[in-house]
Amino acid sequence: MDSFLLGLIAGSFVSIGAYSVLIGDNPLSKFTENLYMGILGGFIFATNWNYVRTSAINPVLQGNYIFVVAVILCVMLFSRLKIEWLWLSRYPVAVTVGAGLGLAIRTSVMADFLGQINATVLPLNNINNLVMIVGTVTAAAYFIFTAQMEGPYKYVNQTGRIFLLAAFGVTYGQTVSFRFELVIGRLVDMLRPEVALYTYAMLLLVALGLGYGYYTKKIKWYSGR
Amino acid sequence: MSDRLVKMQIPMILTAVIGLLMIIEFFFPMPASVTSLNVTLRSFVTIISATALILGTIVLTIFHTKKVGTRGSEWYYSIVYVVAFVVTAGLGVLNVRDTTFLWIYNNMTSPIGAALYSLTAFYITSAAYRVLRARNWNAAVLLVCALVVLLMLIPIGAILFPPVVPLGEWIRSFPSGAGFRGMIIGTSLGIMGLGVRVFMGRQKEHLGIREERRDSE
Amino acid sequence: MSLMDKMLALDQRIIFALMFIALAFPILSPVILPMNIQQYSRDSFEFADSIPSGSVVLIEGGLGAATYPQGGPGLEVQIVHLLSKDIKLVFFSIGTETAAWTVTAIDNALAKLPSGVAAENGVNWVHMGYVPGGESGVAAFANDIRSVKTEDHFGTPIGQIPLMSDINKASDFAALFWWGGSEGSIPFGIRQIVTPFGVPMTGMCTTNEVPNYTPYINSGQMIGIIGGVRGSAEYEYLMGMPGLALGQAMATNFGGLLWALLVVLGNVLYFVARREGGAK
Repeated sequence: MDSFLLGLIAGSFVSIGAYSVLIGDNPLSKFTENLYMGILGGFIFATNWNYVRTSAINPVLQGNYIFVVAVILCVMLFSRLKIEWLWLSRYPVAVTVGAGLGLAIRTSVMADFLGQINATVLPLNNINNLVMIVGTVTAAAYFIFTAQMEGPYKYVNQTGRIFLLAAFGVTYGQTVSFRFELVIGRLVDMLRPEVALYTYAMLLLVALGLGYGYYTKKIKWYSGR
Repeated sequence: MSDRLVKMQIPMILTAVIGLLMIIEFFFPMPASVTSLNVTLRSFVTIISATALILGTIVLTIFHTKKVGTRGSEWYYSIVYVVAFVVTAGLGVLNVRDTTFLWIYNNMTSPIGAALYSLTAFYITSAAYRVLRARNWNAAVLLVCALVVLLMLIPIGAILFPPVVPLGEWIRSFPSGAGFRGMIIGTSLGIMGLGVRVFMGRQKEHLGIREERRDSE
Repeated sequence: MSLMDKMLALDQRIIFALMFIALAFPILSPVILPMNIQQYSRDSFEFADSIPSGSVVLIEGGLGAATYPQGGPGLEVQIVHLLSKDIKLVFFSIGTETAAWTVTAIDNALAKLPSGVAAENGVNWVHMGYVPGGESGVAAFANDIRSVKTEDHFGTPIGQIPLMSDINKASDFAALFWWGGSEGSIPFGIRQIVTPFGVPMTGMCTTNEVPNYTPYINSGQMIGIIGGVRGSAEYEYLMGMPGLALGQAMATNFGGLLWALLVVLGNVLYFVARREGGAK
């Protein structure tokens, strides 16, 4: 059996373990979740360690001593493990937050703020443009929480809410489709002709195991909703 | 130097100086030394971010290891975590391109992750059946938009109800687009407001003040 | 308890089972129906098609384990599309997982390439790998690639990669393709690459995120978008390479209909119960 097929079968088994949580928390689902967290944690550790090694430690060893500052900042971050030394970690956090905010603000002004306002300045010659202008202004005005909900502003607020609800409704419909696509993506791999038999066998084993556990009350059955 | 200066004020000033350097560089011509400093700072940010992720995995491993040591609730599952972490991290640190390391990730973690992520399909359907009600006009708007757009997206929807396609595309492009544009403008103002508060030292949560106070009480 | 009360208090595991059957059945017994092409997908395809031969483009590979089934087929077909036009590709990713899955997309795409199409690593394409730091990382990468990457994903030093000899910042690219999956990272590309450097951009996101980006499309900051598995299927269709995405798009039919039916049923029961004075 080649490693690709073995991988598909292993993937099918662990997927069934993950899906078993739909019946209710059980030993198989908890085992699968902890296995997932462990492997993912190890993967994140290894890949990020590789990045730090190649981007900071190797340059220092090759004579680029400015990266000693980066290494020191990284070591300071570990002071978060002891509460008395937590203040040391504020330095690398300050660098990261300062740079991150600066980078976000400088381009958000152009792309999100001015860019979107510019795109809203449209001629009032068709219904689509009118909807766009009214919707944008009222939806943005909805977030003025310091204004009194009376007079003309009350109608602006209500109109803005309708447009925001339309946006949330569209997102909800798209999200439902997205969630189905996730399941389908998994099922396509689990029900491939070369893997299907293993999937059914594992399903049967899990059903028998969980059924025995629930019948003998060794696994808690979650009743109701 | 005073305690407060070193532990609080210098980090706050550092946040403001670095943030302002990034902003000014974008809008005004700067000497090459400043541009070079900014490039170096940005590369430092990527290295610190990678280290933060490493720290996160270490904290989680310490938690599970303590649970095994003190025989906490359901401690045996923590053994699964610790063994999986040690094996995977060990293989990856030795060689991040090792085939066994990549096989474990691709064929164990990826399917579980995909399955866990896809569980919401079931919960969203159950929740929709129980809770998604047209109780008033506002809720009706949300419900109708969701139904129209979902029927537009599934191929059979266009065959059973042909008008949903142009209607759904219009709702998605114009009313919904206008709503999201309003949100983007609001979010952008929020980012600018947050930046001003952080640079002026009025907001210090990013420096871990709450954690320090909570753990020292 | 009346039938209506029993229906309203239905155990959710029954709904889960019905949904499982509705989603699994079309996979075991596929039903192919005609499908119209969304305007966003068509715009994205035509943008890719308009890029001159010989250009160098930047691709953010943001598909992970959960989102690869939806976007992977589309990304593979787009890689074939661009390489077939002799366009050079530079990949990068802002996640560790997504960097690994980008390799899968490249491998699968290279296997589908027509014979005679050049596809040499380092010459026609390069995968620069993982860039940490989120939006800050993208900004650092866009302003000076060598400040954050000294080697590609496979460990080759950047100085030894012919394709990267004249490339060091975002303005060196003719276009940006942001396959963001469910990262929510498309605004990073718009803010840190499109706005400061003027590089035109299209992208892909999961179905649920498409409405979030319609303002950017309407304002011209982004040209079309490939939305989820439906968008990938449409790209496959426009390329004349129908594949996995089309089958998956068809499989959403029964699940979507079941969801719509349950919502309508739930509302009907609610209004009937309310009229009888029993709704909670």
